Amino acid sequence: MSHTLQTTREDHLVAWFTALAITIHIAESALPSPLPGVKPGLANVITLIVLCRFGWRLAAWVALLRVLIGSVLLGTFLSPTFFLSATGALASVAALGLGWAISRGLPGWALGPLGYGLLAALAHMTGQFWAAYTLFIPHPALLHLYPPLMTLAAVLGLTGGILTRSVLTRLNTGSDAPISMSRQQ
Amino acid sequence: MRGWLSRGDWLVLGAALLLLPGLYIAFWHGGGRGQEARVWVDGKPWARLDLFHDQRLAVPGPLGDSLLEVAAGRVRFIASPCQGHQCIHAGWLADGGEVAACLPNRVSVQVVANDPRFDAINF
Repeated sequence: MSHTLQTTREDHLVAWFTALAITIHIAESALPSPLPGVKPGLANVITLIVLCRFGWRLAAWVALLRVLIGSVLLGTFLSPTFFLSATGALASVAALGLGWAISRGLPGWALGPLGYGLLAALAHMTGQFWAAYTLFIPHPALLHLYPPLMTLAAVLGLTGGILTRSVLTRLNTGSDAPISMSRQQ
Repeated sequence: MRGWLSRGDWLVLGAALLLLPGLYIAFWHGGGRGQEARVWVDGKPWARLDLFHDQRLAVPGPLGDSLLEVAAGRVRFIASPCQGHQCIHAGWLADGGEVAACLPNRVSVQVVANDPRFDAINF
């Protein structure tokens, strides 16, 4: 699999990974959720894998296309769910861009999958929450939900980071070495 | 965890661990502890109770007396002539914005804080 991916053109990469992410996105939408706005974010693992292997630009394409096409397929396009999801995705892509810039500018402080996963999840929840608060339910009592939602986001983001790391390790054909950020540039 | 977290990851994790308690402090501190409670009967203001003056108070409603207890900066319903006793199950109210009401007896009580950040808190 990694051989094929390494030798395909960039847009093919985006298409493949987006397709994979959409599949997970739709499968995940069937899972019951304990709280509105909370889901495991497994589709985001794909974004993190693309980020770590191919860089931020491709990861941003995959993340945003996944939300757009996923919403069309699920029938939530332009519904409140879509706006929450899209705001969250934009915020997390922006946060990952910041993390990516730091990783490239200060290699000593480069982030790994867990750092990216945590950052993306917290940013996603923040974007989604503030969209919900400003667009749909501008009631101050809603703010009480923000701290526990962020706690869940942190836990789920770290879990996603751990998953990402183990997938990346396997993609690197058995090598347990840390993932090189500039490997596929 | 060697090899799992880079130096940058530790930085993000540390920032998140500082951020989360900060969020709880910032968003869960409500309007602060209340200073007084306002009691309404049939939609009209009936009394204002100082929460630091312990007392028991019978509030007459259409069905009979609802009994309120004020103690240690909190207030609660302890008896009411209604059926469901939702007002009693609401328990102690202490933070600004907290409300309990006995709808059948038309009695409601709301805690008021100096800093009324919330009109009401719903659960």
